[in-house]
Amino acid sequence: MTAAADAVSPQGSAWERWRRRLGPWAPVLVLVLLSIAIGIANDRFFSFGNLSRIADAASIPLVLGLGITFIIIMGSIDLSIEGVLSFGAVVLSLLVLNGVNDNDFGLLGVVIVLAIGAGMGFVNGAIHVGLRIPSFMATLGMWFVGVGIGNAILGGIQVRVNDELIRALALERLFGFKYQVWVALLALAGAFVIERYTRFGRYIYAIGGGEDLADLSGIKVRRIRILAFTLAGAFYGLGGVMAVAQQGSAFALIGSDRLFTTVTAVVVGGTALMGGAGGVLNTLVGALIVVVLDNGMVLMGVSPYVQQIVLGVLIVVAVAMSVDRIRTRIVK
Amino acid sequence: MSDIAIRIRESYLNRRRFLGASAAATGALALGRFARPAHAQDLPTVVNSIRSLSNPYHATWNAGGEAFAAWAGAEYVTLVTEGDSEKGVADIKAMIARTGGNMVLNVDPNDSADARPIVEACAEAGVYCVTQWNKPDDLHPWDHNPYYVSHISFSGVPAGKAMAEALFAKMGGSGGIVALGGILSNVPAIERKQGLDQALAENPNVELLDFQTANWDPNQALEITNTWLTRFGDDIKGIWAANDGMGLAALEALRAEGLAGKVPVCGIDGIQLAVEAVLAGEFSGTVAWDPFWQGSIGLSIGYHAKLGKFDPATEPPEHREFYGTGIIITADNAQEYYDNNILSSPQLDFEDIWGRVSGQIQYN
Repeated sequence: MTAAADAVSPQGSAWERWRRRLGPWAPVLVLVLLSIAIGIANDRFFSFGNLSRIADAASIPLVLGLGITFIIIMGSIDLSIEGVLSFGAVVLSLLVLNGVNDNDFGLLGVVIVLAIGAGMGFVNGAIHVGLRIPSFMATLGMWFVGVGIGNAILGGIQVRVNDELIRALALERLFGFKYQVWVALLALAGAFVIERYTRFGRYIYAIGGGEDLADLSGIKVRRIRILAFTLAGAFYGLGGVMAVAQQGSAFALIGSDRLFTTVTAVVVGGTALMGGAGGVLNTLVGALIVVVLDNGMVLMGVSPYVQQIVLGVLIVVAVAMSVDRIRTRIVK
Repeated sequence: MSDIAIRIRESYLNRRRFLGASAAATGALALGRFARPAHAQDLPTVVNSIRSLSNPYHATWNAGGEAFAAWAGAEYVTLVTEGDSEKGVADIKAMIARTGGNMVLNVDPNDSADARPIVEACAEAGVYCVTQWNKPDDLHPWDHNPYYVSHISFSGVPAGKAMAEALFAKMGGSGGIVALGGILSNVPAIERKQGLDQALAENPNVELLDFQTANWDPNQALEITNTWLTRFGDDIKGIWAANDGMGLAALEALRAEGLAGKVPVCGIDGIQLAVEAVLAGEFSGTVAWDPFWQGSIGLSIGYHAKLGKFDPATEPPEHREFYGTGIIITADNAQEYYDNNILSSPQLDFEDIWGRVSGQIQYN
């Protein structure tokens, strides 16, 4: 196929070769250029205080992004992020020391929430695979179920969380960075190991690259898919814990807008929505790009009206850069 | 709270099933009359129609309705739209049929457009009704004399202004502030911002360093506040937020920097956590809309009209379409409000129906 393209347009192919070589580094380049530009406009950008704040702000999008990266690599999508996160956050707030009941499960509460997240992810996967419902629809359902149950439990109130261990994630620091940043980095390390050094990690790429081939070569595609959704759910649960730590309280809408930010981060980082390419390190870069952009626009005093436009343009440009137009014959 | 919701819904569903079984409307009417306790036989049924019982705002509204019904000795019914306009209108019509028009309605229409069919159905059946928050601008109570008694709403302008003033006072009257707004196109967001702008115009020593919209979203409010701390640092002497949710998030951003209680924050809506933050000295204030008052006095106005205590047609326009009065909560009265309105149900004088009128509604 590449040979044919070469024959038709040799110039285009040279550009393509360049693009292919540079392609993986494009998000990093964007991040560096963006940072330099903002740094020139406002010298406080590179202050340690601000870099630490950027790390804080990126930690939740990163953790959520790690989960959904596995799904997107498979060529699927997971819209349940906000549902799982909200439900997890609501449950957590009622299990640990809080302003509404007498529970004080502490760390056990966190473990329970991670398990709930994984469970919701498992249901996503099982419905998607078992009933042959597109991941889009199955997870859309879980989104509404999660937020809906959260709403039904709390009835619109906001529950204050007083558990010092959880609040420490957002209030205490180690080497100048909040604990939640270190937790996010640990999650990143874990996801990286899963992606690079486990059979599961390799199979995900195989499924995203071509599910039929993967199936023919003996990969248990259905099982891997369910496992991927389960894993993603656990990451969203962790995101819920971190969100509660940050807000110091839980409410049913604590997940709002997280899906948009997360998918933007993953795509901007260079993980293709078509599947088969990208990875968790891309997601790290993508999360930083989105957060740096947000941070930079407020630092430079960009009007709120313009901010939304910039974010929208960024997504289209990022997707345009990440699409492999030679491999993709049909665009739906 | 959700127990109550389920119980009320169940009793209401049973009633509907019961109505469905007795085919003729007249039959249902007769049964309805028999079912009512003897002493309440001639009193109108008092009906609140609200969105849901699963949010604290409408749950408190409902508690107000119950308290009023107990005071009046009348039968009380709650109708819940669950966000469904058609259900809302249909349920009200069913209630009118069941009571034969011997009822009083206090409704928070699910959508502005719903107010018209509701009011028309009430006027036709001779039911005295009061609407709150939502109605089309060209529908007025005096179009349906005397049955459409009043429409009540709340203006965000005085609330936004009062909070800004409380904030400035806590800052010592000068310094820089940052402000978090709601959704750009939202009427309450626009009005509350207008109030802030008025207060700023009257206090030249206070400088608005930046205004950002966080779309009522605590997550966005937290991130924006974090970045402001980089951009303005110690220049931020106060944070104005258009609602409590965003204000509480800004407070958490301050807490992470050890600034909670040092940089005052204000909100609007009067939710429990915000009142607690006022008590803790971390919030300079919040404004409560008092849904208990809305749920009780809204009924009381229609009830007194129904009993002939006053004639709606001869009331002045500012009693027909008016802004209610938000309760301004600051350190001075927070404990009192907390004890009377959050830990227990407030005591209201249900005969004082015009006590919280603060001006006729203005249209742009």
